[in-house]
Amino acid sequence: MIRNTRMKRFSIVSSVVALGAMVLTTVPAQAAEPGLTSKEIKLGISTPLTGTAALSYGKIPGAMKAYFDFINANGGVYGRKIKLVVRDDKYLPTLAATQTTNLVLKDGVFALVAALGTATHSKAYAAASLATKKVPDLFVNTGFSGFGNRTKYPTTFTVLPSYAMEAKIISKFVKDKFPGQAVALVAQDDEFGVDGVNGFAAGALTLTSKTLYPQSSMTDARAKALLTGLSAIPGKPVVILFGTTDVTALIFKAAESLNLVSKFTWIAGSVGGDSNTLLALGVKATTIDGVVAASFFPDAKDTTDEYVKAFSKINAKYNPGVSFDNVVLQGMNSALLTVQALRAAGKNLTRAGLIKAIESKGSKFASAALVPLNYSATSHIGYNGYWMGQLNAKGELKPFGGMLSVVTTDSTTGPITPSTFKRPSLPKNGIPTNS
Amino acid sequence: MKNIKINKTLATMVVTALVTTLAVAIPTTANASTKCSKESFTSAGKSVSYQKCTGTDAQGSQYEFRMPSKFNGMMYLYSHGIRGNHNLPKIPVIRPDGYVVNMAPEVAPGRTAADAETIAQALLKQGYAVAGSGVSTQGWSIPEAVKANRLLITEARSKFPTIKKVVSWGDSLGGHISQSLSEKYDVIDAVANLHMAGSANSQYTYANDFLWMFKTLFDPTIKGNGYSAGTAGYMEYMGDITKVLTAFGTIQAAIAANPISPTWPESSKVPDALKAIPVRSAVLLIGLLAGVPVQSNTYDASSGPAGPLETSFGLAISPALGVFENAFTALALALIGNYDAEVRCGGVIFDNTATDYALRLGDNGDVYAAGLSGKTATAGMLAYLNKMNPAAPRVTGTPAALDCIKNKQANYSGKITVPTITISQTADQVTPGGFIQKFKDLYASNVKSGKAKPGLLLNIWNKPPDTYTKFDAAGKPVTPALPTTGTSHFMYTNKDLLIIAKMLATAGKTGKLPSVKTAEAAFKKNPNIFIDPDYKPELMFADR
Repeated sequence: MIRNTRMKRFSIVSSVVALGAMVLTTVPAQAAEPGLTSKEIKLGISTPLTGTAALSYGKIPGAMKAYFDFINANGGVYGRKIKLVVRDDKYLPTLAATQTTNLVLKDGVFALVAALGTATHSKAYAAASLATKKVPDLFVNTGFSGFGNRTKYPTTFTVLPSYAMEAKIISKFVKDKFPGQAVALVAQDDEFGVDGVNGFAAGALTLTSKTLYPQSSMTDARAKALLTGLSAIPGKPVVILFGTTDVTALIFKAAESLNLVSKFTWIAGSVGGDSNTLLALGVKATTIDGVVAASFFPDAKDTTDEYVKAFSKINAKYNPGVSFDNVVLQGMNSALLTVQALRAAGKNLTRAGLIKAIESKGSKFASAALVPLNYSATSHIGYNGYWMGQLNAKGELKPFGGMLSVVTTDSTTGPITPSTFKRPSLPKNGIPTNS
Repeated sequence: MKNIKINKTLATMVVTALVTTLAVAIPTTANASTKCSKESFTSAGKSVSYQKCTGTDAQGSQYEFRMPSKFNGMMYLYSHGIRGNHNLPKIPVIRPDGYVVNMAPEVAPGRTAADAETIAQALLKQGYAVAGSGVSTQGWSIPEAVKANRLLITEARSKFPTIKKVVSWGDSLGGHISQSLSEKYDVIDAVANLHMAGSANSQYTYANDFLWMFKTLFDPTIKGNGYSAGTAGYMEYMGDITKVLTAFGTIQAAIAANPISPTWPESSKVPDALKAIPVRSAVLLIGLLAGVPVQSNTYDASSGPAGPLETSFGLAISPALGVFENAFTALALALIGNYDAEVRCGGVIFDNTATDYALRLGDNGDVYAAGLSGKTATAGMLAYLNKMNPAAPRVTGTPAALDCIKNKQANYSGKITVPTITISQTADQVTPGGFIQKFKDLYASNVKSGKAKPGLLLNIWNKPPDTYTKFDAAGKPVTPALPTTGTSHFMYTNKDLLIIAKMLATAGKTGKLPSVKTAEAAFKKNPNIFIDPDYKPELMFADR
């Protein structure tokens, strides 16, 4: 009996050991991570493909997919191919919540990338339980400083400089370049516009007029009434348009109709100043000629820039029929950041590891932007600076006054200082090899 | 949206109704006197015979149980949802045919009486007994209902000692009754709660918050709370129904005429500056501040008619119309429920003297900024609702009545001891998902403190399709002929109810919940059912 018992115990122990060995040899360490196999990394993006916002941003997923296809054709990320699942949220909060939930629950993505918008993404983040599920939420296209709250958005990394930073930098620019001119601000009456309004206040810019309008409420009649009122201001007032591109276009077309284009010095914020979209929306080339705009990227038409050159080439091959512009540049840049982040997380990829990798190595990632990335263990906010330029009739953004001047600042009361940032070179052949 | 036509003769009807108003049916208090009869039905060509037993318990509750001739040992005990405790005259939309207090028992859930009978017969055919109580008192009557159910189980078991297992299910308030019964008495083997109601205090706070803001913005002559005793109080109650319907109908007409900039009702006394804001934004605001879902039977808070308004309708108008469509039920619940509850608890059951409505807006102020007509407009409306505004007097509750509604309604506590399943709509306007989140939190707390075992709760969710609003050729929204799944407070389909019934029976037999995988597989042909333990709807405001 004793021997039998010992044998039984031995047998059980052997079985456990054998089972453990079997588990160790057959199940990859990260098998529990959704959206991840030995051959594939599944990423998801919720963004407008239809609706008015798609006019400006609809090219982003295609551009990202093109870059991922390029990387996949060159061996992927440590042998894994990147698959991008795209869902259309029309830039509507409730639909963004639905589509983000679908990406996580139905599509089973490993991480989210390049979601667009503030209202849309804040709603989606909570609805899809991204914090609880610890889903990496990479390179969100928003400048809303609220996403910097790491308690509320622990897995989110935004990519754009904050709207407050942009407003502060514009404030200094206006005071330096147009001293004594009256300044009128036209901004969206929501968190985006208010973030900007706070930035203009922090930049101590005196506003002669401030018009806040709810999103989707601007009409041709309202734009004309607004401009007619502003035209009574003596001199050549500076008008800052801090809204989306469709509203910038409405106001420009109203100015054309009222013959008031030359009455004002126009400044378009980065969200609403994309020249290609403005031209596509029917704004005359002569109207955008001279418009001042802020940017943190090189101009997409600057073929002397190594990033622009490489991305243009990839776009031509993997995104055929789609013209290369600032939005495509932005999409490809986000994809480049994503690939570097995945590589930085190592071969044993996990959601937690990916977040940690961006925190520890993200500030060193190669990027097309002319301003530094700001990622660290204490900051999930991306770029932190701008340069001011002037559009010409071809839609090219050239440095204001002929000399590129990049400045950097924070979202609160910190100083605006010239940037000493030296942009990292494009990885060889456009393929990151970082670890 | 339902087309509400306010009948001009409503006031006359209300007065006429007084003749029958106070003739509330008073049930007898006879002891249980069960009478059974032999019944049968034919299903798929086969006759199914059973005994139908009815009676009235010692508390005065009518009950019914049906025992199939081929009994398998398990009985389903069903608890129906809330019913009004006072008669109503014919009231457009709310009660087009009037209402006489209904004390009849129901033995199974269903969208219609025919559906409920289908479910009952399906279970009888499988060898299960079915049972239910009408309860001696209607309105929010959980203590009475729990007692009635317990007496019913005792009576059924005395008649049929072969009953080995009892599983309990209920919908809305019935879900709450079912859960409370399970927690309080060790007589239930498994539970399934369908769009279960929250605590009395939380449900009434939800409804009263909306009613108070509605009256403050749109018609301050609505009384809402503190009805007088007797006939005078009933008159006030009927008068409120008339006023709410009138204001509601006026707003509805204004939205239909001009959805972009609908005007405010004349009964509103807010300053002209606020009236410059589209009234739909005010509706959206008070919905968000009360916790009303933005998705409704017709409106998905995203779609717009094809054409130039497509995006802006989805962004700025649809969420407001969703709240508006949902709000009608919230208002009806507030009016009818308040009156019943005040009579039950002997005073004002709601108190918002300390409520900071502006604080409640939170991220919704950003998410729905377009629908709210911007931050400036939102700030103006919030200022009007501020407690410092003398034009917006708050409601002061009666201490004893508040204690009654908060502490004496036999609320469940989350001390789950048997396998428990919930299924709820994510956009339910009567029992929003936040109530289930509170239930989950209570259970988690009990597990943490060792008062409940882990692994006994499975939450199933029913969501709407990704987009679903339809528009006619003229661009007008079309209300669907059938309820949109995941929205409203409609009962589940017979197919879904039978899936839940099967899970419940298995849980009752095994003492274990189905795994998530098994549960998902059971609903595999329904793309709108999901099970996600991480899904966390916002708690209702009274539960925060």
